[in-house]
Amino acid sequence: MEPNRNAHATLVDLLDRILDKGLVINADIIISVAGIPLIGVNLRAALAGMETMLKYGVMQAWDEKTRIWENEHRKKQEVSLLNGEEVNLKIYGSYYYSKGIYTAWRSGYFYLTNKRLLLWNGEFDEIIFQVPLDEIKGLIIRSEKYFTKEDKEVLYLIRQDGKVARLHTIETSQFKKTIEQNLKIKGLSLTENPVLIEFKEGPINFLTEGEKVTHRGKKVWYLVPVSGIQQETWRPGHLYLTDKRLCWWYDFERKLDFDIPVNRIVSVTVEMRKTSGLNSDREKVLDIAYLVNSTRKTASFSGEQIDEWVQVLRTIISDQRDEETETCPQCGKTALRKELLKKGCIGCGWVSPRLKQKTEDRGQKTKKITT
Amino acid sequence: MAGARYLYCIADSNEKISFGNIGLENNEVYTIPYKDLCVVIHNCSIEPYKSEDEDKVKLWVTIHEKVVESVWERFDTILPLGFDTIIIGEGEKEPEENMKSWLKDDYENLKKKLNKLKGKAEFGVQIFWDIKIISERIIDVNKEIKKMSDDIKTKSKGLAYMYKQKLENLLKKEIEKEADRCFKDFYERIKRCGDEIKVEKTKKLEEGKQMLMNLSCLLSKEKSKVLGDELEKIDNMEEFSVRFTGPWPPYSFV
Repeated sequence: MEPNRNAHATLVDLLDRILDKGLVINADIIISVAGIPLIGVNLRAALAGMETMLKYGVMQAWDEKTRIWENEHRKKQEVSLLNGEEVNLKIYGSYYYSKGIYTAWRSGYFYLTNKRLLLWNGEFDEIIFQVPLDEIKGLIIRSEKYFTKEDKEVLYLIRQDGKVARLHTIETSQFKKTIEQNLKIKGLSLTENPVLIEFKEGPINFLTEGEKVTHRGKKVWYLVPVSGIQQETWRPGHLYLTDKRLCWWYDFERKLDFDIPVNRIVSVTVEMRKTSGLNSDREKVLDIAYLVNSTRKTASFSGEQIDEWVQVLRTIISDQRDEETETCPQCGKTALRKELLKKGCIGCGWVSPRLKQKTEDRGQKTKKITT
Repeated sequence: MAGARYLYCIADSNEKISFGNIGLENNEVYTIPYKDLCVVIHNCSIEPYKSEDEDKVKLWVTIHEKVVESVWERFDTILPLGFDTIIIGEGEKEPEENMKSWLKDDYENLKKKLNKLKGKAEFGVQIFWDIKIISERIIDVNKEIKKMSDDIKTKSKGLAYMYKQKLENLLKKEIEKEADRCFKDFYERIKRCGDEIKVEKTKKLEEGKQMLMNLSCLLSKEKSKVLGDELEKIDNMEEFSVRFTGPWPPYSFV
């Protein structure tokens, strides 16, 4: 892109600069014109951007705020550290930032201290990313397309809670080594060979060792519960069923926002419900009841493939029931529920009323045939 | 000599020359040297230039700029002054004397500014975004907003109006969040290409196209290519467009 000075288009830019700016002589010797609308109020208003700031009027306040903030934050040179925190490494780099609809590689200085790894942006004195050292679970390097469209080494940092951050520096592998060394000194160890699974939305990682995804599908909305001042809201993401857990991955924040062990799921129900307080249309909502420390909780999901999920989850619940143990109502002997219901108790010969009925029916049928 | 002096700029040369009758109202523009600097002026009356006629003011401003640029072409570094900066006499003191004592008092400061601006120019960067595309994106990823906007179509006129208000409020908040994110990112990227940035007021231009940021950037003239490349990346994004103007005399950095 070339800068240009097209005469007509830049008249406003010109007026902006010449009427409002330029060297200011701070003396009594000049005819002061600053602040006095010498050149006609209309013209000035049209030039200086005082025109009503459209229907998105809020932007004006935002604009003011941003400029004040920018001024205040501009001059800081170093990040403020915690008490007793020492910097072991400082290196320029970037972090893949993804919130809302906006994603970008945001850059700054990585500081590796004796307490945490952080990425600091000096322009805005803002910590863009940070992780306490003991929350680092694994590190993986991958070669992939960076925003410059070149293949670059990107460091995937997996946290204990399964969240993944993508980091980049000029010396990514050296960076990884240094972090590993520092963790070792602190007596912390990393998971060996952590796994990253490639999905359409990019690689995500939340699986524990040996865990496998057994079912997944299209976008699923999750009713994120009330937290702080945030009211409950529907957010887009994806449900994953693994051989151990049911997980919901929040697409925008790239993290697990909900996960429960499969054996905690108590029941699965579907209901037609309003999903927005603003209209009366009903949508299929999947309610999953589950137990946390013997407290029953419910998580709600909606989406195109709700029926499919109901089926999958119900199969799991019934499989689990079969593997549960029960005590015989007659003699109290423990046996697999499945066995008890299908065959009766081996100890005392008890059979469930339903099974009794069945055998009797069958017996009558056989009788009929023989007679 | 009676009257007053209209100032265009200060330059880093002590050459005493005339630029001819290129000034406002065809006045002769010339330099007054002081030590290793000079002031570029024309002789005028003690009345400031003022007019209700827009075209006239525009013409004056254009001439002021042309003079500053002619001087800039001849000398390396200049400190441009704004329109209508006029030095007057004080009692017995001639305007010229006044000017010299000001230069004497302010010499160090002016030298410092000239050194800072050596070989550099100002560039204007304005980034716009298409509110329509941004809104559509937000509507697309935000379930509540999406639902609301779908529902409006089925509502009665009165209700639809109310919903529309609600929708716009929600959308506005999301748009602001987005603006904040983009601003920070672009600022960082542009900052890397230049020496200094000033964040200016944004302005409304035309319907649908909104100014997200308005910056004045100071950089050496050769480096404008680097900045241009970075801006091109932003300009290539569907929802953003960039205006890149310059090189300007460094009005915003004096």
